[in-house]
Amino acid sequence: MQRLKAFPKAKLTAVLEMMIQKATVWVPSMIAGVSRFAPYRPGTDIQMGTNTAISPKEALFPSTEKIYKFSAYGIDGDFEPVDPSVGPQILFGLRSCDMQGILCLDDVFLTRGYVDDFYGSKREATTLITLGCVTPGADCFCASMGVNPAEHDASDAQMYDLGDAYGIIARSVKGEALVKDLMAAGLLSDTDKSQGPTADFVLKVDSEGITEKLQQMFDHPLWDELSRKCLNCGTCAYLCPTCHCFDIAEKKRNQHCGVKIKCWDTCMFSEYALMAGGHNPRPSKKERVRQRFMHKLRYFPERYGKLQCTGCGRCIAKCPVNLEITDVIKLAGEAKSDG
Amino acid sequence: MVEQKINPVATLSDVKRINPLIPMKAKVTRIIDETADVKTFCIAKEEAGRFTAPFRTAPGQLAMLSLPGVGEAMFSATDAPEHLQLSIKKVGVLTDALHEICPGQTVGVRGPYGNGFPMDEYKGKNILFIGGGIGLAPVRSVVRYCVDHRDDFGQLHLIYGSRSPADLVFKYDLFDTWPAVRDFKVSVTVDRGDDQWKGNVGFVPAFIEQLRPDPENTVCILCGPPIMIKFTLGILDKLGFTPENVITTLEMRMKCGIGKCGRCNIGSCFVCLDGPVFSLAQLKTMPNEY
Ligand SMILES: Cc1cc2nc3c(=O)[nH]c(=O)nc-3n(C[C@H](O)[C@H](O)[C@H](O)COP(=O)(O)OP(=O)(O)OC[C@H]3O[C@@H](n4cnc5c(N)ncnc54)[C@H](O)[C@@H]3O)c2cc1C
Ligand code: SF4
Ligand code: SF4
Ligand code: FES
Repeated sequence: MQRLKAFPKAKLTAVLEMMIQKATVWVPSMIAGVSRFAPYRPGTDIQMGTNTAISPKEALFPSTEKIYKFSAYGIDGDFEPVDPSVGPQILFGLRSCDMQGILCLDDVFLTRGYVDDFYGSKREATTLITLGCVTPGADCFCASMGVNPAEHDASDAQMYDLGDAYGIIARSVKGEALVKDLMAAGLLSDTDKSQGPTADFVLKVDSEGITEKLQQMFDHPLWDELSRKCLNCGTCAYLCPTCHCFDIAEKKRNQHCGVKIKCWDTCMFSEYALMAGGHNPRPSKKERVRQRFMHKLRYFPERYGKLQCTGCGRCIAKCPVNLEITDVIKLAGEAKSDG
Repeated sequence: MVEQKINPVATLSDVKRINPLIPMKAKVTRIIDETADVKTFCIAKEEAGRFTAPFRTAPGQLAMLSLPGVGEAMFSATDAPEHLQLSIKKVGVLTDALHEICPGQTVGVRGPYGNGFPMDEYKGKNILFIGGGIGLAPVRSVVRYCVDHRDDFGQLHLIYGSRSPADLVFKYDLFDTWPAVRDFKVSVTVDRGDDQWKGNVGFVPAFIEQLRPDPENTVCILCGPPIMIKFTLGILDKLGFTPENVITTLEMRMKCGIGKCGRCNIGSCFVCLDGPVFSLAQLKTMPNEY
C-alpha cells in the first residue's frame, strides 16, 4: 500500500513550476474574466476552490482544430495531413465529474472500431490528476449521476484536499513518474491526514431507471412543454464536458488553398441535421431539445453503458432560461409513460 | 444496461490503416452523363501509371468525396477493381461544382464507410430490387454483386421508376446489361411518358401492386425517395413480405462517417457506422426521426 504524500497548499506554484519543466500543465484558472483550464504560466490566476465554468475537454478536443491542408489549382490539387500530436501535457486539478466526462469522450473517440487520432494522440500524451471535492458547488449534482466527488479511480494520480495541504497518490505508471519527480524535487512529505467527508449536495435528483423510462417517452408531450423556453443557443453543449459533436468545415486562405477544420457543433442548432433539398429530421426546438436530453440519458447509455451527464452542473449554471437537466430527469421520472 | 438492438457491423479493415478523417488523393477518370441532373463519376488513384480503385467497397457502403476548396459529401459507392463509381445528383453547392468538373480532376476520397448489405445472409434467396430515382445508385451496387455471383441467388427481379424517361439512370444497365442476365426480370416504369416511351406509365407503388412479386423465399431491397418508400412499404406488407425481409438504406446528414461527430444518429445508432443498411424490422425498433 502506497502511503499518502502531501505538499502544503502554499507550495502549489512551486509544484506547478516543477511540472512545467516537462509538460504543459492545464490548471483551473481565471483568464480574461473567464474561468477555464489553461496552460499554467508564472503569474496565472489559479482557481483551485471551485470547478471551472468551461469544461477541460478543450485540452483533448479543442473547440477548433486543423485536420489537414488542401490546395486546388484547376484540375490539380493536394491534401496534406496536419500532425495531430501535442507534447506531453498534464490536466491538473480535474474534478471527478470531468474525469467521468473524459471517460465518455474516450468511448466516443477511441472505441467502436475507429480511433479519432486528433483526440487519441492528445489523450495519450496527457496525464490526468484528479482533485477530490469537499464542498460541492450550488449547481453540482455528480453524486446523483453515480460519480464519487471525493475521488475517481480512472485518473493517473489523485489529489485530496487536506485543508492546508494537498495529498497525492499515484494510480498509474504515468502518475508514478510524476510523483517520483515531485519526491526527487523534495516537494512531498508523508502524511497521516485524510480528506474530510464531502459536504451535502444542495442539488440532488433521482436518476435511477431514467434510461429505461425515457425508452417509453419518445412521443411524450413533456418535450413540447420543456422545449418551449429553450433558445437553441447551444451554451449548454459548448460548456458540457461530454458533448462531442463536431463539424468538419473548410477555411479558405485564398483562392487556391486552405485548411479543413474540425470544430465543436451542437444538435441544438437548426441546420445541424438539415439536408440538401430542405428535409430536416429535427425541424423544431422540440426535436432538438428531446435529442439533447435523450442522448445524455438514453441513447448514450444504450450505446456505451454509461450516462452522458456527469452532474457537473455547468449547463444549469449558464443556461439563460434555466432549462435544467435535473428538472428534466425529475419530470421524466414522474411522468406517465406513453407506451 | 439496455441491450443494443442494432449490431454495428461496419467493415473497418481499409479505413484503419490511415487517419479516417483525411481524404486520399484521387482522380476522376471518367464521367458518364446519366440524366440532365445525374452524372456517374469514376474515381481512381494513380500508382505507377496504373489506375486502381482507391479502396474496395461492399454493396451498400459509402464513400466521402471531396472537392478541395468546395466541400465534401457522402455518396453510395459501386465497386470495381479499376475505380469507384459514384452517381451524383445535382442538388446544392458541392454537387453543382462536381457537375462542372472534367475527367482528370483531382478529388479527395475517404472510406469505405457503413455496414453494407449482408450479402451472405441472402445466399440461396430470390431478390426483389425496388428503386426510385437516384435511389437506384445503392441498389445498383447490390445488383452488380448479385450478377457477379449469379449462382448464389435465385430469381432476380428489379422494379425501377423515375419521373420521366429522361430521368432514368443507368439506362445501359436497365435495358442492355441486366435483361441479358439469366433469370433476371427488369420492370421499368415512369411517372409521365413521352412519344417514344413504350413501357409502363405510373408510380412505383402502383406498379408493384400490378406485378405482385412473390414474397416466398425473397428478400426485398428498397431504396428511393421517402414518399415512395412510405407507400411501397404498405404494399409489400399486403403482399406478405415480412419486416425482416425488407431492407432499405437511410440518408442522414453526415460529416465524419465513423460514428464520432454525432451528426447522423437515429436514437442510439449512427447511420454512418451501424447503417446505412437497415431492415424494416430494425427500423421499427428505432425512434421515428429520420
Ligand atoms: C448515406 C448517404 C448516401 C448518399 N448517396 C447518394 C448518392 O448515391 N447519390 C447522390 O446524388 N446523393 C447521395 N447522398 C446525398 C448527398 O450526400 C447529398 O445530396 C449531398 O450532400 C448534397 O450536397 P451539396 O453540397 O451539393 O448540397 P448543399 O445544399 O450545398 O449542402 C450543404 C451541406 O449540407 C450537407 N448535406 C446536405 N444534404 C445532405 C445529405 N442528404 N446527406 C448528407 N449531407 C448533406 C452537405 O454535405 C453540405 O455540407 C447520400 C447521402 C447519404 C447520407
Ligand atoms: S438548454 Fe439553455 S443553454 Fe441549452 S440551448 Fe437551450 S437555452 Fe441555450
Ligand atoms: S449535461 Fe450539464 S450537468 Fe451534465 S455533464 Fe453536461 S454540462 Fe454537466
Ligand atoms: S457522420 Fe459523424 S457520426 Fe455519422
